[in-house]
Amino acid sequence: MADTVLLRVVDLAKHYGDVRAVDGISFAVDAASVFTLLGPNGAGKTTTLEILEGIREPDAGEIHVFGNRVNRIGRTVKQRMGVLLQDGGFEPYLRVHEVMRLFASFFENPLPIDDVLSRVALEEKAGALVRTLSGGQKQRLAVGAALINDPELIFLDEPTTGLDPQARRNMWSIVTGLKTDGKTVVLTTHYMEEAEALSDLVCIMDKGTVIANGTPRDLTQAFGEETMIEFRGDNLSDEAAEGLRTCAEELRIDGGTVTLETSDLPATMESLLAWSRVQDIPLRSLTVRQPNLEDVFLALTGRRLRE
Amino acid sequence: MKAVLFISLTHVATAIRERVTLFWFLIFPVFMLVILSMIFGQIAEEREISFDITLVNLDRSEMDSSGFAARVTDAFEGLAGPTIAAQAPLFTLHQPGGAQAPADFLEAELNLLRRGRRAAVVVIPDGFGNAVLHGVVHTENDAQPAMINVYMSRTSIASETATEIIGQVLAEVDRAILIGAERFDPKDEIESRAHWLRQEEAETRYIDFLLPGIILMAFFTNGLFGVPGAILFNRDRRILRRYWVTPLSVPRYLAGFSLGHLALCCLQFWILFLLGRYGFGATISFAQPDALLTLVLAAATFMAFGFLIAAVARTANAGMATANILNMPMMFLSGMFFPVSGLPPLIMAIVYANPVSYLVNGLRVSLGVESSFFQPALMVLVPLAWIGLSVAVAARKLRWDVER
Repeated sequence: MADTVLLRVVDLAKHYGDVRAVDGISFAVDAASVFTLLGPNGAGKTTTLEILEGIREPDAGEIHVFGNRVNRIGRTVKQRMGVLLQDGGFEPYLRVHEVMRLFASFFENPLPIDDVLSRVALEEKAGALVRTLSGGQKQRLAVGAALINDPELIFLDEPTTGLDPQARRNMWSIVTGLKTDGKTVVLTTHYMEEAEALSDLVCIMDKGTVIANGTPRDLTQAFGEETMIEFRGDNLSDEAAEGLRTCAEELRIDGGTVTLETSDLPATMESLLAWSRVQDIPLRSLTVRQPNLEDVFLALTGRRLRE
Repeated sequence: MKAVLFISLTHVATAIRERVTLFWFLIFPVFMLVILSMIFGQIAEEREISFDITLVNLDRSEMDSSGFAARVTDAFEGLAGPTIAAQAPLFTLHQPGGAQAPADFLEAELNLLRRGRRAAVVVIPDGFGNAVLHGVVHTENDAQPAMINVYMSRTSIASETATEIIGQVLAEVDRAILIGAERFDPKDEIESRAHWLRQEEAETRYIDFLLPGIILMAFFTNGLFGVPGAILFNRDRRILRRYWVTPLSVPRYLAGFSLGHLALCCLQFWILFLLGRYGFGATISFAQPDALLTLVLAAATFMAFGFLIAAVARTANAGMATANILNMPMMFLSGMFFPVSGLPPLIMAIVYANPVSYLVNGLRVSLGVESSFFQPALMVLVPLAWIGLSVAVAARKLRWDVER
């Protein structure tokens, strides 16, 4: 399968003084797939992406892209890449079509501007000044600018951060559409549901290192056949908490959320209901679900993704 | 090349559409041109230049036989009399009355000079006639040098100007004496001296003096505020970062930015020039190589200065603060609006270090509305040195992306 790999990173490292922002990570991204770097803030996702986008140079490691090993990401590679920065801005006094025309001028073979604006649903805003756009519209413009050269490899750095639910769904459909068109997408996010919904492969990062790597299904199946039961349990006494431990194999009390991990759902539910009656504690917001990437991260680091 | 063109168009479009930028880049220079030409242009036309001059003749030697001191007196009295065009005389001449002791009169007049009531005091010392007769006419080696004392105030621009004119008057007298003594061939000298006096004092209007200064002021504020403003704000708002993930390189961005900046300078020039010519009757023509080259040099110098500020300022706000601190002293201590000659030595040191002074004077000299204040070579070399320094610092220190 080596011939399908579009991007490969081996032992990549970047240090800022004593801070090891990226500490010898390795991964491979297949062509026509969505690859997600998942991790909390400060995990090293953005630094990794900045190196791959050509903004920063690595201190060590190898980068193989489009079948070639490169020391740094130069102009030739950038002609085939599209980048959506986490915090990039636009000239507020340019019009939307002027921004697209400007970015089109940077590339040898840009797509027609109207086609790209149509793809990101901004054709009606073509004459509007950037400063008058909403947050979601600005983000779609940024995606449009990243797609103007019809790139084979697209980096999307936290594309939905700060967006409302509707705008987030719109962004998800754009990413799905890119994959359908055969594009390779490298995504960073700290939303586990986003990673699960969009990714073919997830690489979980923490403190500059890769702590898990695989498909969302593979990663969550590492938990076996267990089921998660959650409910709100504020201010539980030590005695009440001790009673809960007998209900399931694993118990986590995180803030006001109680999570039970069990391989025998009927038995655990029976015990839990009995505990609720005896302790006179209602099971508010009771949820039964399968393990997700948040659980994987929590199990691996002892912390939540958004802590 | 396409990227360079579109970066330059972006720079121009942003400058024109953003109100604050538009104010400093265009409205402020137009406002200054209108205000200054309305106030000072009118004053200059209504109150033609006239200086209060004191003349004291202390010469007792051969007064009647040679009449050299009398020739000097006649020359000044001639300029204090009515003119052919019924304009105000150049000098209002103050001389001791018949009963007044010349020494007492002189002391009183020097006090008036110190208080700014006189532009200059000219004293013909005792023995002047003899010194001219023996030293100049007969060329005796052991004769005393012929000397006239001119007292002036170093802090008064009027005094400085009057002293220059007095120098011309004395040179005319000297020339007449030498011709009389058959020791001087006038054909090489007369034309240039007479021409300078007519052009500077009789024909130059304030708008012709002001317009080149306002055009350079517009270039200056555009460079000082526009360049660091655009670069630092674009860097801090991560606009530049978005460019750097595309194939666009820093040199190509710089080329586009510089082209856009020069296009803005051209726009500023044409608007101010047309307003000056058709709104206020300016008569100067910029269509000459010296003037055009000076304009290009000025735009390049101020743009480089903007890069220097962008390089030393850590943030956009710091860049604007630095530009604000430098703006007023560099503008006003350059002769942009008023002549700087006659300022105190400490202030003159700033004038000499200020590249704007050389460009302002160089442009006016090339347009024939001001005499040369600096060595001609310095008018090019000093701005070039500032460009070199600014580019060197910017190349070393200017950050094109936000710090991590």
